[in-house]
Amino acid sequence: MDLDLVWEAIPLIWKGASTTASLTAWALVLGTIGALILALMRLSSIKPFRWFAAGFGWLFRGIPLLILLFFAFFALPDLNIGIVDGILLEPFQAAVVALSIWTAAYQAEVIRSGIIAVDPGQAEASEALGMAKARYMRRIIIPQGVRIMIPPYTSNAMTLLKQTSLATLVTVPEMTLLTQRLFSNDFQFRERIAALALLYLAMTTVFVVIQQVTERTFRLKV
Amino acid sequence: MALVNVSGLRKSFGKTDVLKGVDFQVERGEVISIIGPSGSGKTTMLRCVNLLERPTGGRIEVDSRVLCEEQANGSMTFADKAAIREAREHIGMVFQRFNLFPHMTAVENVIEAPIAVKNVPKPEATARAHELLEAVGLGHKGDSYPMQLSGGQQQRVAIARALAMDPTLMLFDEVTSAVDPELAGEILLVMKRLAEQGMTMLVVTHEMGFAAEVADRVLFIDHGRIVEQGPAADVLQNPSHERTKAFLHAVLDRAPMEAEVEEAAEGLVDDLLVRPERIGGDDDGS
Ligand SMILES: Nc1ncnc2c1ncn2[C@@H]1O[C@H](COP(=O)(O)OP(=O)(O)OP(=O)(O)O)[C@@H](O)[C@H]1O
Ligand SMILES: [Mg+2]
Repeated sequence: MDLDLVWEAIPLIWKGASTTASLTAWALVLGTIGALILALMRLSSIKPFRWFAAGFGWLFRGIPLLILLFFAFFALPDLNIGIVDGILLEPFQAAVVALSIWTAAYQAEVIRSGIIAVDPGQAEASEALGMAKARYMRRIIIPQGVRIMIPPYTSNAMTLLKQTSLATLVTVPEMTLLTQRLFSNDFQFRERIAALALLYLAMTTVFVVIQQVTERTFRLKV
Repeated sequence: MALVNVSGLRKSFGKTDVLKGVDFQVERGEVISIIGPSGSGKTTMLRCVNLLERPTGGRIEVDSRVLCEEQANGSMTFADKAAIREAREHIGMVFQRFNLFPHMTAVENVIEAPIAVKNVPKPEATARAHELLEAVGLGHKGDSYPMQLSGGQQQRVAIARALAMDPTLMLFDEVTSAVDPELAGEILLVMKRLAEQGMTMLVVTHEMGFAAEVADRVLFIDHGRIVEQGPAADVLQNPSHERTKAFLHAVLDRAPMEAEVEEAAEGLVDDLLVRPERIGGDDDGS
């Protein structure tokens, strides 16, 4: 393997890295907001909310992400429901939609299991003090649940980052697509792919570091 | 009029009837000890008083607020959420396992509810918290997290937390049974002082000494029914029911038994010390 070819490839692929990063960032932000809403619906006492959230998780954790992606890009334009007459999305937008839905479905489970892992005595003590549910969820339950959520949340975020490579298949010019273009011109497969792998590794490392820092921040002070 | 009025209280979990019709009143300033065998329904009864447990029958009234009431057709009506919260502001509760907020210091634990529920300004709430912690003998521990405190200290913080809401009624559920026996005394002392200052208290306890010394009345509950109630001296020294007699007999018999266990344990101390997994692992598994 020619290491020079590896280094040389990195700045070329780098242009796609910002697309990869912004796909990840959009999907993580939108998906986490969705996940929070879904988790609260799932834990609510209102049955239709619980059903909706459970159904959402069942559906979108059960379908391959690639199919969600194809659906958002190829099928939405043909969709006719009521007043909606087909939704035409740019490749990037379609990828954000599919990745956000995927993230929401998975992170909702993480948030929900973090919340239910908190000792029920905490909610009881809050209730006994006359605190309203919204207040003690925010002040008492969620801060304790977050600690439990950090590792699986980060794992999902790392998976999301890597899954953005699927957006190649709907022509989003992210890192994997640029690499493909490179090696289909010069046939330097090994070096180009090694460079791509290094870039993914560098980006996922950021999440590992963030995980360590947040775990330290949220650790119980002893 | 009595501060607490409970009549015909019933509670079942699925098919198990835990409370089978309980009636009692608590006058203002009265201290009542609730005693009875394990599984008799003491905790359930106490938790019904602030609706942590929703009764399946009967009526509960606290400080002229009707929390729940059974209708003529047998269905239950409950006060609405806001009214229940409002009632709970005036009913302090202390739990067997403390339930302190582990991510907050002692002071933060104490000020949380007054700020959240009663909109007390933070400086005022903090000053009051320091006073209360001082009163329970923890003036110097305000900045400690629960994990840094002993069980006895944690439970006293929990008492201060409940008192910070200026309750008119305090509920205690076996508040000494999760702490080392030698630390129970400091909790009981705080409770005794509270009783002397006129707090109305409902105290589920296995501490017969506390019941005898502090309680105005003792209520013996067995299989979900109040079997006997009356002045502490009468119930504890002159029980009129066979079941009360048997229970007290068993409880008071435990004292010599404990001594025996201790004696027996003393012979084992050497053995225990050489077992490697015992070394350094003896701080209550926490
Ligand atoms: N949430 C619940 N679901 C089902 N059964 C319950 C529940 N809570 C309590 N019980 C049952 O109700 C009965 C009374 O329980 P409770 O905790 O009130 O007893 P207790 O008198 O406080 O006992 P102890 O002295 O051991 O604390 C027990 O048989 C218990 O198994
Ligand atoms: Mg109990």
